[in-house]
Amino acid sequence: MIRLEGLRVRVGSFDLRDISLEVPTGGYALIIGPTGSGKTTLLDAVAGHAPLLEGRVWAHGDDVTRLPPEQRRLGIVYQQYHLFPHLSVGENIAYGLRRNVDGADEAATPRVQALASLLGIESLLDRGVRGLSGGEQQRVAIARALAPRPRVLLLDEPFAAVDPATRTVLRRELRALHEAEGITTLQVTHDFDDALRLGDMVAVMAGGHIVQQGRPEEVFRFPNSAFVARFVGTGNVIAGHVHRTGDMEADGRFTARFVSGALELHVVADREGTAHAVIRPEDLLLSAAPLPASIRNRLEADVVRVEHLGPVVQVQLAAGRDLVAAVTSATATELGLRPGVRVWLGLKATAVHLV
Amino acid sequence: MASPSSLGTAIADPELQASITLTVLCATGATLIAACLGVPLGYLLARARFPGRRLLLGLVDLPVVIPHPVAGIALLLFLGRHSLVGGTLASVGLEFVSHVPGIIAGMLFVSAPLLVSGAREAFATVDPKLERVARSLGDNSWQCFRRITLPLAGRGILAGSILAWARSVSEFGSIVILTYNPKVASILIFDRFTAYGLPAAVPAAVLLLMVALAVFALVRLVEPRESR
Repeated sequence: MIRLEGLRVRVGSFDLRDISLEVPTGGYALIIGPTGSGKTTLLDAVAGHAPLLEGRVWAHGDDVTRLPPEQRRLGIVYQQYHLFPHLSVGENIAYGLRRNVDGADEAATPRVQALASLLGIESLLDRGVRGLSGGEQQRVAIARALAPRPRVLLLDEPFAAVDPATRTVLRRELRALHEAEGITTLQVTHDFDDALRLGDMVAVMAGGHIVQQGRPEEVFRFPNSAFVARFVGTGNVIAGHVHRTGDMEADGRFTARFVSGALELHVVADREGTAHAVIRPEDLLLSAAPLPASIRNRLEADVVRVEHLGPVVQVQLAAGRDLVAAVTSATATELGLRPGVRVWLGLKATAVHLV
Repeated sequence: MASPSSLGTAIADPELQASITLTVLCATGATLIAACLGVPLGYLLARARFPGRRLLLGLVDLPVVIPHPVAGIALLLFLGRHSLVGGTLASVGLEFVSHVPGIIAGMLFVSAPLLVSGAREAFATVDPKLERVARSLGDNSWQCFRRITLPLAGRGILAGSILAWARSVSEFGSIVILTYNPKVASILIFDRFTAYGLPAAVPAAVLLLMVALAVFALVRLVEPRESR
């Protein structure tokens, strides 16, 4: 378990404040923030390498706030991996093991072997670290951090330095490794994909503090602000006004109209006035013919641009406001989508998330 | 002038032998003292940010711009028997003027900046994140310094030490004022040149050059290879 309690860290000219987060034992949490928002410094402060202005860090029930880094037992892997250049791969992995067994390298060997085989880097053990690929370096860095069985693994943008194909493989491996070792993991990243694929929990940072935290799907589906919606890439984020049209239900919600310029949508709202409508691209239904009346919002739209992204096609539409829809490539072919084509657009009132 | 036979005579010359031995030993002593003080200072200057750091950086480099005879005179004023420091040290048996410690002091003054700069630059090239990783893997700050920082900076520190040593061997200007006798090689060569002319000075000069080159080559040979 690791618990951050009201951390405050100064990074250059700005402050990170009230950073609170608890990751249960065996959990995988991510702190997400834009590049350059001080995430590395935050991780350094948790590990004891940077000063903490306020707050406490707990690891497995112990307050480690005042402990030097070597007594915290928090493994750290930096973005650029930082392998020790004067040591072999095997020596790098064994680095944190020797002191436990009083200079007995033999005792360290089974652990090094086990981790190396888990990460598929056994053949590299005797090699130097120069000339390793990004993916190999990352595997070595993770093995090195895990070898002394830290209480928590801290990861700083672990996939930023590798190509997209390797990233996919490494994410899968890291998830498997996390399950095999059962290690509590806290990662900082700027990439929400990491959260969706790896995390049990995600905290989104903006302006120096955490603005939303929860399960990744939840945050993705129900962002609590336009910033989070844009940052996690939920899709369409449109500023406008909510006007109430129906009576309030028991749950405090009511039917309303959301107006943004020429765009008008039926929505279910819980407040009136200025708001942002968040609409996921896959919730927009496209059709060549008028849609059934059971779908509350039926609009005509012009296709502006069609982008093929493998099995998914992103369609930019003009419907009073610019909207982005996502359809399968089969649907795109069937509808003959290309710039200038007029289509019908359907959207359930409940699929509009107001923030 | 530097024929093999005159070189042979030079090698057999007991005064020259003693002088070169003295030079090499004093230079080694000065380099060791400079290393003991300069490596920690270089580390501090590379890593720590503290008030007065820039001033300290300037002070460390100051000897480089001071003309060596001026440095000799300054050291004479500072370490002479009639100064506070020199008098106190002399009372406990450490005499500088016209004694071996004077040679070492002169060498140290002119060579230490080279070692400190070398060490500072070497430490600055070691990424602090490597040290952080080592600390998080259980090293205390000393273990981390010994296992990570020093090995990675070692080459640069050695290079700085060789420069400092070579600079010490070649020092003349400050030593000639502080300790004319016993004579280090550079002073002996100067002495012979002024007393007996070029033919007497050249074999000694060639011999000193050869000793310096031999030590230089030896150190280059034993220094650690480029890390993997």
